[in-house]
Amino acid sequence: MCFIFKLNYFPLEEQQLISGLRAKDRKTTEYLYEKYSRALFGVISRIIFDKDIAEEVFHDSFVKIIQKIDNYDESKGRLYTWMANICRNSAIDKTRSKEMSQAGKTNTIDDFVIGFESNSDTLDHVNAIGVKELMNDLNEDQRFILEHIYFKGYTHSEVSEEFDIPLGTVKSRVRAAIQVLKKNIDSI
Amino acid sequence: MDIQAYITSGKLELYLLGELSELERAEVVAMAAKFPEVQKELDDLEEAMFAIDELTGKIPSAAIKTKIFDSLDMELRDEKTIKPTMAPVEGKVVPLSPWKSFAIAASVVAVLASAIAIFYASKFYEKEQQFTALLQEQSVMAGNLNQVKLEFEEKEFQLDKLVAGDFRLVKLKGESLTMQKDASVNLFWDQSAQEVFVAVNNLNELSEEFDYQLWAIGDQGPIGIGLVNEGMKMTLQQMQAVAQAGTFAITIEPKGGSVSPTLDKLVVIGNVV
Repeated sequence: MCFIFKLNYFPLEEQQLISGLRAKDRKTTEYLYEKYSRALFGVISRIIFDKDIAEEVFHDSFVKIIQKIDNYDESKGRLYTWMANICRNSAIDKTRSKEMSQAGKTNTIDDFVIGFESNSDTLDHVNAIGVKELMNDLNEDQRFILEHIYFKGYTHSEVSEEFDIPLGTVKSRVRAAIQVLKKNIDSI
Repeated sequence: MDIQAYITSGKLELYLLGELSELERAEVVAMAAKFPEVQKELDDLEEAMFAIDELTGKIPSAAIKTKIFDSLDMELRDEKTIKPTMAPVEGKVVPLSPWKSFAIAASVVAVLASAIAIFYASKFYEKEQQFTALLQEQSVMAGNLNQVKLEFEEKEFQLDKLVAGDFRLVKLKGESLTMQKDASVNLFWDQSAQEVFVAVNNLNELSEEFDYQLWAIGDQGPIGIGLVNEGMKMTLQQMQAVAQAGTFAITIEPKGGSVSPTLDKLVVIGNVV
């Protein structure tokens, strides 16, 4: 049900996609945008609640992705992961900038879900149910870790330092939390 | 190393979140290359994280899309249009490439073979033409030979006659006449066989409208016994039979000859001795 947004584009093989991007081909870039803008903007808007600022960060991130495509190394993971990291890091950088101060780190999962629900956009409203289901079955610790890393833009070492949790524990909780999401997303 | 422990350590998730140091990243890449289970876990996680981002994501406004493509306008090009369903995957192209070289080699061989074929075809055509020319030449020569043979037989026949027959030589001269002082014709006459031959030694050429005509002059007056071809010099020309004559003479007559001689155009004359 949550995949009603699956795009009706011809699937482009990842390798073709990458060579098209390296050739700075406009059509390939548009394809990339249509296929990944939702998820990538999701990575940013999880961390940055303000829509205008999130979009500004998304603009800069996407332009950077296209300009720096030659830095992408296929042997180190999928294109999406590389792009998502650029977006996440840009968003984290933004939350640490002066204009954001600490305001950016006030996000909670509940705020995020409420944000979805309160949105007048019908598609987002439908999706909010999916987002709620996605967060099912998370225990306190997992919810806490996910909230900080996924939504507040903390790095795992920041969580460890700030909340005095051993690094190994942070790691295994990140693992456990993502496993819950993974299980939920498979069943949705 | 306990691979399962490595997988469940949380390191792979942090790797995908981009939170590992350069050294730790290299370690994950090496582990994934070495252990398929690690690679599989990475693949699964990447897929799951994309699915989570996709689900929790929002479509950015149309305005931001316009702004992004405005910013990228100078960077992007339109030439290389990728057709998603048609474009070959790089990996699939490689095994085809040897066939490309085979195809190129085959084309080269084909071109060479064609060139050789054309070369020999033109050679063959050339030789055939030469052969045809030789055949024609040969047939001309055979014709000539035949003519020579006929001429030879004729000469032999004439010679036989002259040798075997009882011929008298009558010299016809133009000295005493006015038409052509140096005109000279030899006439051979076998009275018993009634055969006459002439051999032109010297006679002026006539125009198309006239002929030389030989006359045998006997008791019954001059009798035309044939036209003499002034061009056939030093060869025997057989004339019509004559049994009785005292004098032979040649006159110039209108083309085809006359019934009676035009005496003012008498060229040569000679008496039978």
